[in-house]
Amino acid sequence: MTSEQIMTLFGLMLEYTVPTLKIFAFTLLYSIPLGMVVALLKMCRFKPVSWLTNIYILIMRGTPLLLQLIVAQYSVPYIIRSDICPQFLKDMLGGVDIRSDSYTFNMMLIAFVLNYAAYFAEIFRGGIESIPKGQYEAAGALGFSRLQTFFRIILPQVIKRVVPASSNEIITLVKDTSLASAIPYMEIMYIAKKQVPLYASLLPLFMAGAFYFVFATVLTALFSFIEKKLDYYR
Amino acid sequence: MKKRIFANIAAGITAAAMIAAVGSCGSGSQAETTAAAPEPAAADNSLQKVLDDKQLILGLDASFPPMGFTNDANEIVGFDIDVAQEVCDRMGVTLVKQPINWDNKEEDLNVGKIDCIWNGMSINDSRKQVMNLSDPYMNNEMIFTVPKDSGITSMDDLKGKTVGVQSGSSAEEILMASDIYADITVTALEDNVTLLNQMELGFSDAVFLDSVVANYLITENSKDYVILPGNLEAEEYAVGFRKNDQALRDEVQRILSEMKADGKLGEISTKWFGSDITTVK
Amino acid sequence: MAMLEVKKLSKSFGELEVLRDISFDVEKGEAVAVIGPSGSGKSTLLRCINQLEKASGGTIRVCGTDMFAPNEKGKSVYADTKTLREIRLKTGLVFQNFNLFPHMTVLKNITEAPVCVLKKSKTEAEETAMELLRKMGLESKARSYPCELSGGQQQRVSIARALALDPDILFFDEPTSALDPELTGEILKVIKELASEGMTMVIVTHEMGFARDVADKIIFMEGGYIVEQGDSAQLFGENASERVKQFLQRFNNL
Repeated sequence: MTSEQIMTLFGLMLEYTVPTLKIFAFTLLYSIPLGMVVALLKMCRFKPVSWLTNIYILIMRGTPLLLQLIVAQYSVPYIIRSDICPQFLKDMLGGVDIRSDSYTFNMMLIAFVLNYAAYFAEIFRGGIESIPKGQYEAAGALGFSRLQTFFRIILPQVIKRVVPASSNEIITLVKDTSLASAIPYMEIMYIAKKQVPLYASLLPLFMAGAFYFVFATVLTALFSFIEKKLDYYR
Repeated sequence: MKKRIFANIAAGITAAAMIAAVGSCGSGSQAETTAAAPEPAAADNSLQKVLDDKQLILGLDASFPPMGFTNDANEIVGFDIDVAQEVCDRMGVTLVKQPINWDNKEEDLNVGKIDCIWNGMSINDSRKQVMNLSDPYMNNEMIFTVPKDSGITSMDDLKGKTVGVQSGSSAEEILMASDIYADITVTALEDNVTLLNQMELGFSDAVFLDSVVANYLITENSKDYVILPGNLEAEEYAVGFRKNDQALRDEVQRILSEMKADGKLGEISTKWFGSDITTVK
Repeated sequence: MAMLEVKKLSKSFGELEVLRDISFDVEKGEAVAVIGPSGSGKSTLLRCINQLEKASGGTIRVCGTDMFAPNEKGKSVYADTKTLREIRLKTGLVFQNFNLFPHMTVLKNITEAPVCVLKKSKTEAEETAMELLRKMGLESKARSYPCELSGGQQQRVSIARALALDPDILFFDEPTSALDPELTGEILKVIKELASEGMTMVIVTHEMGFARDVADKIIFMEGGYIVEQGDSAQLFGENASERVKQFLQRFNNL
């Protein structure tokens, strides 16, 4: 490849880091709070809720994300055509334009969020359950309400405990965003794959690899900084 | 606006339910589609719908040069695209090029995400069953290519050698069914370009692929490969439509014939292949 | 008026009865020590009074308000949530394991409840907290985190934290059991000071000498029952029951 070609390619790939970052950011934005909710639902004393949550987590962690991404894309048309689908749902989903770009993106995001929320939920549950009972008792004896206890006493301690495991998950997400290329959604991996036949060269893939590497390295540095910041107590 | 948000939320919930359901009935969803696909053939408004929407959505893999592929500016170009563009111009509709996952192309067609598959798609029996195919528009051969200085000059010289082939392609099926299969070692990889790179690096001695693709890759990238004389099996390319979309299929077919007659098709073919190699009647 | 009245209190975990027929009063300004062998139900009694465990039957009345009492049908029930919350603020509890909040500074540990629960201003809460820390001899540790303190210092902070809510009655659940022997002295000194200031206190303890010196009243428990209760002269004297004598004898020999 000529250096001119390489510059063109580099420019194009740089442009498509934006959609990759978009998947990454939106997935985190929704899956972290959802993961917290799921963690609390799983710990719910009302058993059916806890069981249902368990099944959700089992499926999300037990099937490939790639499969979930594909299923999400076809979910709406499948449901509209299914015989057991009630009419009101058909009417509601009938307004969804499955050909639109926003549909592709939203369905992809839903799959990413549901998948990652399941993983975050397990991390958060572990974090919440690792807080000694005495913390709740002390807070109760001091008159804190349940909500105050959770947000002021428990959650700050949970955050510190879940940072290492979460950062692992978040760095995995950086690389998992590349699965979007299979839908296909035009992010950096898609571009790289489609540029390969054009130049009859694997350089586009290496460039994509370099991007993920840089992104993951920056995040690693960021998380070690955060861990250090949270190290003010033991 | 409000309604759309609501619809999106509903879609999200159903997607969640779907994803949940896949765990219990992975094969069930497949059965459901094939069962749902044949709708009453009574009202075929496929052509009218395209004309009303003023757009034809063409599904393609976008990495199959020179038929349909992505250029250095991430635009989708190729022989098929030029032809489809001309067809759409004559129909008075806009051509929408929708990249799809080639593995799911039948599903995308079925659920209506796209109107046709037009991407150097070979005709075979299974595709004839699930799609409404146009008449063939081009011949394709499956050939072997080797490095120039390899010393391999004919298909007989391949005995005992390693041959690369694209996994899951019709090329792979043809190779496996051929007599030569017993005498060679086959390595299957995801795409032809990687296979050619591997051959260059010495991982394999030859690559078995579509002549159209081989010719283009060799000339475009000025590689030192040669194509062995002879081929294993000739194939034909066609455009795929939904099983019931007869009106749309016929209209596209009519325009293709018209283009062949007035020389436009030949002109496009010459641009990409140096001569008119189309077989439209 | 009695600050705490407990009548015929019982508590069972399933089949296992851990408290049976517990009755005693604590008057204002009184320091009461609860002693007895391990597993006698001392801590459970304290936890029931502090709403950390649910009692099974009987009556608990704090500062004249029914917290847990029999209804018309004779079944003991808890008061409504609002009343329970009010009672919680009248009582303070010091734990065996301190249970300080590790992510907060010493000062914040003390001010958090007054600010969030009592809605005091931050300045006011901090002034009170500094005063309490001065009293505990920990003024210089206000900005430290609990993990930077010794066990004795942590326990003094947790006492200050309980006092910051200005409770009418303060409970100690084996406050020195988790401490090295050389650190117990500093805690006992603090509790003695509180007693001399007229703080109403109930102390579950294994420190017999301390119980004798400080307590106005001593309750001896065993097997979920109160075996004997009275002033220290009565329990540590010649007239005590055989069981109490036996128990104290063993302690003296240690």
